[in-house]
Amino acid sequence: MRQIRTFGLAVAAAALATAPALADDIVVGFATAASGFMEAYDKPAQDAAMIRIQEINEAGGLLGRQIRVVTADTKSDRAEGARAGLTVVDAGADLVVVSCDYDFGSPAALVAESAGKVSIFLCAESIKAGIQGVGPHSFSASVLAAVQGATMAEWAYHKRGARTFYRLLDTWTEYNKGICDGFDWMLPRLEGATLIGSDTFVNDDVSIAAQITRIKALPQAPDAIMLCTMMPGAVSAIKQLRDAGITAPILNGSGVDGSYWLSAVPDLSNFFVPVQGSIYGDDPNPEVTAFNAKYREMTGSDPSTQYVYPGYVMIDVWARAVERAGTTEAAAVVAELEKMRDEPTLFGPRTFTSELHHQNRARYLIVETDQGQPRVIDEWTISEPIPVSALLR
Amino acid sequence: MLRRGSVVRRTIATPIILSALILALAIFTVWSGSRPFNQTVIDVLLRVMLVVGLYIFIGNSGVLSFGHIGFTCLGAYAAAWLTMPPMMKGMMLPGLPGWLIATKLPYWVAAPIAATFAAVFAWLFGLVLMRLSGIAASIATFAMLAMINKIYSNWSSVTGATSSVVGIPIVRDLWPYVIAAILCIVIAWAHAISRAGLKLRAARDEPVAAQASGIDIPRERLVAFVVSGWVTGLAGALFAHSLGVVTPDTFYLAMTFMALSMLVVGGMSSLSGAVLGVLVLSLLIQLLRGLERGVDMGGVALKIPNGLQEIALGVIMIAILMFRPSGMMGNRELVWPRARRRRAADAAPRSSTNTQPTGVHR
Repeated sequence: MRQIRTFGLAVAAAALATAPALADDIVVGFATAASGFMEAYDKPAQDAAMIRIQEINEAGGLLGRQIRVVTADTKSDRAEGARAGLTVVDAGADLVVVSCDYDFGSPAALVAESAGKVSIFLCAESIKAGIQGVGPHSFSASVLAAVQGATMAEWAYHKRGARTFYRLLDTWTEYNKGICDGFDWMLPRLEGATLIGSDTFVNDDVSIAAQITRIKALPQAPDAIMLCTMMPGAVSAIKQLRDAGITAPILNGSGVDGSYWLSAVPDLSNFFVPVQGSIYGDDPNPEVTAFNAKYREMTGSDPSTQYVYPGYVMIDVWARAVERAGTTEAAAVVAELEKMRDEPTLFGPRTFTSELHHQNRARYLIVETDQGQPRVIDEWTISEPIPVSALLR
Repeated sequence: MLRRGSVVRRTIATPIILSALILALAIFTVWSGSRPFNQTVIDVLLRVMLVVGLYIFIGNSGVLSFGHIGFTCLGAYAAAWLTMPPMMKGMMLPGLPGWLIATKLPYWVAAPIAATFAAVFAWLFGLVLMRLSGIAASIATFAMLAMINKIYSNWSSVTGATSSVVGIPIVRDLWPYVIAAILCIVIAWAHAISRAGLKLRAARDEPVAAQASGIDIPRERLVAFVVSGWVTGLAGALFAHSLGVVTPDTFYLAMTFMALSMLVVGGMSSLSGAVLGVLVLSLLIQLLRGLERGVDMGGVALKIPNGLQEIALGVIMIAILMFRPSGMMGNRELVWPRARRRRAADAAPRSSTNTQPTGVHR
């Protein structure tokens, strides 16, 4: 009798373990880079997404169903990206998560779009990562690069009394140009603020001595320098600016967040970065610090930059939309996502509309690095959202 | 003097066998029903087109070209211009002429036009480049590739500069690619046995004697350059439709070296070598990638570390070239087994262009 009961239990357990895994699960497909250079960007955000998925599963799942994850490696290659997208769609993915960058994520996102599935870019910050460049079922979990430039300009104007600005653009990527586009949009809206000069360089320029000479030749030092660049060239540019004795505040995009490179520019001061959440343990929201601890527990290290956070936000808002729609069916989920207006998340409010599946306005924490020590000093939300027409230029 | 009919009859087996191979692969793919595998095979067929395109010029002229991926880029962007929705073109590529913005053609009309666009540029570049020979010609073709890449990476109003161009209709059906690949093979074969092709091969093997016999080498090279520009341009157009996204950096060094190594491993002066090089190397890549993901072999998981695929591929390629310095096929073509035996018997009295050693890789 006892044996029979044990056997029955075993059968039941086996049925529970296998059957739902095949039929009833909600499937999230990651068509992201597990090798190649994009892995450095995709892996941290994907880990954060996994944390949210784990939380949801532990709390009883989504619509009473467990979330199951399938993955396919894009190998940081566009053609492989399309194949990875097809692989996860064929594996039954209800949500297709694609690479951080628009160029590398779009092939898989286009696959999801033509299969009528929702796709989300892990942390792309171009307006194309969404309706404009993929289609009506595509979203990005991060904030537009332009918002970062606009945030820094407006914050410096109001909180630091900056009136004269200098703009230094690294023309290497769309992301860099995006930051400066937002800055350019904001500047005329700030009464009395003037651009006293602007210059460009390219990320891998060995020296920006010529640009520095022109900054030093200005009749007056600028109140702030808007530096639109990203790693790896950013470190060299910042070091050269400071070594040349230029002490003006430097405003940046989120791409230079992180303390891993600060030892290269000892005692860096007067340096400002907008972030969605703080990796330095001083976020005004204690839940962010708790998340950082969870992340360390899962991956063995603290988040290295703020680009970990969009992965968590992504699963969070998508799961809420699924819960509200009562289905994973793409059109219904998209409709629910598009109803979100300042939806609170751990890393600031999120808004999606039928015109824009991206954030053209967002709360940013301002991190100041002083004597080589970064810490959160303020938070800022731009006074008006950047219109789509200005973003599409 | 050979009669044309007999050349056709003696060589027709090669394109037939190669097309049959492609068809067999296609039928197997459709039968397997797997969409990711379908996409893999589309990729393989695109490479067949690219490498066959390279063969038309490199194989017949003996001049190594690093520039043909530039024509692929021209073809891909031309296909994008012709097939994208006018609204998206107006927004992303406002520098295009109005009539082009308003144009929206089906892909199968646009692809040959795009290929012709690439061929026109091949002709323009070729007028200058084909006067050079040896390493000077190779470097000049490389310079052309760099030039095309730089223009396409910076002309933002017409090519979108380094940003991806999206909105290109995606074609995931296998058959258009199969037809195009077979078309390319037939073109390559037809060119090789044409008057121009035979003259060019003669010039490749014995330039002095060829010139003394009245062969205008730059002219014959130009013909091959334009034909191969058309084929690589067509590959580019279909590449754009296979992904739906194009960026200039896709069509640069990585693709150039991938295509060239497939041609060299297969056998630079053989059409069969070009096709087999692609098939064999693609198969190896897929096997190694499968191993990277891990294969279950009767309870034992067989898995190689990520990134080993590239290393293993390099080692295999070195091994192939060590044992067969002129590639897997050397300068032979695939023919019916019986014909080969008969040809071998005939070889002693009559020397044939196909069995002549080439000066390329001596």
